[in-house]
Amino acid sequence: MADRHQQKTIKTTAFPYGVGIFLCSLALPGLLVAAEGNRVEKTFEAAPNPRVTVSNARGLILVRGWDKQLVHIVCSVMSPRVEVDSEVIPPSGPADKVHFSTHILDPLVSGKDQTADYSLDVPMGTDLEIRDTQGSVKIEKLQGDDATVETVGGAIVVSDFTGHLFVRSIGGNIEVIRAAGRVEAYSITGDLHLVSPATSKLRATTTSGRILFEGDFPDGGDYSLSEYSGDMDIICPPSASFELNAKTDRGKLENEMPITIRHQPATPLSSANSLFGTHLTGKATVSLKSFSGTIRIRQR
Amino acid sequence: MDEIRRHRTAECDHFELELEAYMEGEVRPFVLAHLGECVFCKVVCEDLLALRTAAGELPLEGPSPAVWANVRAQLSAEAAFAEKEGAWSWLWQLDLFRRPVPVAAFACMLALGCWMTAPRNYPQLEASASLAASGGQPAAVRSMAFVSGGTGLEQVVRELEEAFKAREGSLAPDVKATYENSLSSLDVSIRECNDSLQREPDNSLAHEYLFAAYSQKAEVLSSALEIDEGR
Amino acid sequence: MSQQKTTAPKAASETQLVARAQRGDEEAFATLFEMHKRRVYSLCLRMTGNTAEAEDLTQEAFLQLFRKISTFRGESAFSTWLHRLAVNVVLMHLRKKGLQQVSLDEVDSSQDEPVKRDYGDYDRRLMGSVDRISLTRAIAELPPGYRTVFVLHDVEGYEHNEIAEIMRCSVGNSKSQLHKARMKLRDWLRQNEGLMTSGEPVTSDQAPTER
Repeated sequence: MADRHQQKTIKTTAFPYGVGIFLCSLALPGLLVAAEGNRVEKTFEAAPNPRVTVSNARGLILVRGWDKQLVHIVCSVMSPRVEVDSEVIPPSGPADKVHFSTHILDPLVSGKDQTADYSLDVPMGTDLEIRDTQGSVKIEKLQGDDATVETVGGAIVVSDFTGHLFVRSIGGNIEVIRAAGRVEAYSITGDLHLVSPATSKLRATTTSGRILFEGDFPDGGDYSLSEYSGDMDIICPPSASFELNAKTDRGKLENEMPITIRHQPATPLSSANSLFGTHLTGKATVSLKSFSGTIRIRQR
Repeated sequence: MDEIRRHRTAECDHFELELEAYMEGEVRPFVLAHLGECVFCKVVCEDLLALRTAAGELPLEGPSPAVWANVRAQLSAEAAFAEKEGAWSWLWQLDLFRRPVPVAAFACMLALGCWMTAPRNYPQLEASASLAASGGQPAAVRSMAFVSGGTGLEQVVRELEEAFKAREGSLAPDVKATYENSLSSLDVSIRECNDSLQREPDNSLAHEYLFAAYSQKAEVLSSALEIDEGR
Repeated sequence: MSQQKTTAPKAASETQLVARAQRGDEEAFATLFEMHKRRVYSLCLRMTGNTAEAEDLTQEAFLQLFRKISTFRGESAFSTWLHRLAVNVVLMHLRKKGLQQVSLDEVDSSQDEPVKRDYGDYDRRLMGSVDRISLTRAIAELPPGYRTVFVLHDVEGYEHNEIAEIMRCSVGNSKSQLHKARMKLRDWLRQNEGLMTSGEPVTSDQAPTER
């Protein structure tokens, strides 16, 4: 009796699990198909120095340079109503231009469901143009002529880049590491972090974000850093040779480097803090501006 | 592969499945390999390429003269054609006058250039064509660019703000928040720079930041409107 | 369209023409018509396959253009704006005629599945060069949906993302419909081969074309 009761209990308990497992097994092929359908992988043969453009609403875009003459993309999307499109010009033969874009097919798809994550491997000489509204962008090891990256809220990280780099984010933080060539970095509320640049020309501006510059000022370089209300920290080695123009209207200016002061020919600012001078032989030009933030120049 | 194959194989079916992607420029190693093995599939591929080339080379055809005659007659009936233009009409042909942001940006650059090159001791400075000077105020550098209610970048920004407010509801909440934060940050800088210039009209740093803040605000608003319009 | 390029002086003079047309200058209207009439008419003709319809639609496209020209803000090239307008005029016309195939999301699979037959010697012969008269006739024989995508992409040079936006379909749909259109055209041209220059047969010792 107890055995039958036990058997009945087991059956009663096991039955819903069994139904559940059965129903899941019916759904599994669909899930697999869905998972399969939400991932796109393509490869295109590329011409020398191709141009690759990506347009995305949300999600991470990762671009790496490699030594193959191919553009390889893996993209995964959250929703089957989000489509990843590619266009190649010309349509046959090695591509001069490859364009990827995310299309939201259903206006009801919103927020995180719009996410498309891209991972691209491109020839190192690729010119790049990326627009990711709320997603972050990471670029590594490119040596093309130019790269343009724009986001609204997403962070941008670029490392080991050579060429003309233009990065802009309304609210995202920007980090540029070991860039050579020309760099322009702009944000309104985001922070800017510049590490070990080897650039000939650098422009970095943020309104309320912070600027952190760590590295040397290569000979002949022209560096201009500007923020409105955030703080600016410059950390450079004792061997850095630069001519300095630093000024802030309402903020403070703190300097640890031995600067040889010189007189600025223009009318000095009436109430501003300023420092015009030379460190060592002044081989690079450095301009630092702030309105109400603090400028700190420190030795590494 | 020398003999002529007469039966379709599973490879031929696979080839057909991948052919579309191959024609769109994707690297498809299987297709390339099969083209070397199967003369029939190679013919299909070559035919499609010939078709695509021929389509791109189709010449243009022209409509009969009756089409323009009908268009012209209809537009005349709708009074679509204007009277002949006056002597000063050439002025309005300048693209400069048709686009607000580049006009304002150009005008302000011109104003800034005049200000930067003008001798410091002279209070009267040239104003650009599209900017109104405030009445009777010497050394009125501020008034060159930012007279309230006047033309210039300030006015352009105001118009962009109105357009943004009308459409900001269609932005995703997090995107809207990012834009609002940045606009708020720029508004703070504009206010503070204006305050500085009230006390120190010659403050060149404040001028520089004020101009930059307005320009950045115009760019941020334009960027928000472009997203809204799906571009 | 992405493949179109204008030289700077031509673009500048067209900008001036558009500005004058926006102010109601009849001569500017006429010049713009002359500059673009062939392109618009050819588009209408190939999408409808009928000269009378094509002329009516060309007329309608230019009337709409001139009525709306004050809204042109110059964000895209004028020709791009005009051609999109013309495409929309044709599509509206085709939809009004009740031709449901214009919606590319509706796929009639019974029409699309090819009959997979074994190959014969005939299938070793290349189609060869395609003469324009045959191709024009073949395009006119396509179902409207296939015809639209083929004309927009292969003839007019629109890209798939542009076609998807115009046709309100997905890019994937545009690509698959284009491929099917090309296969159908190929089938029609081969069946009517007497109209064409016949190509040489492909032998097995010919090297494959490398990409």
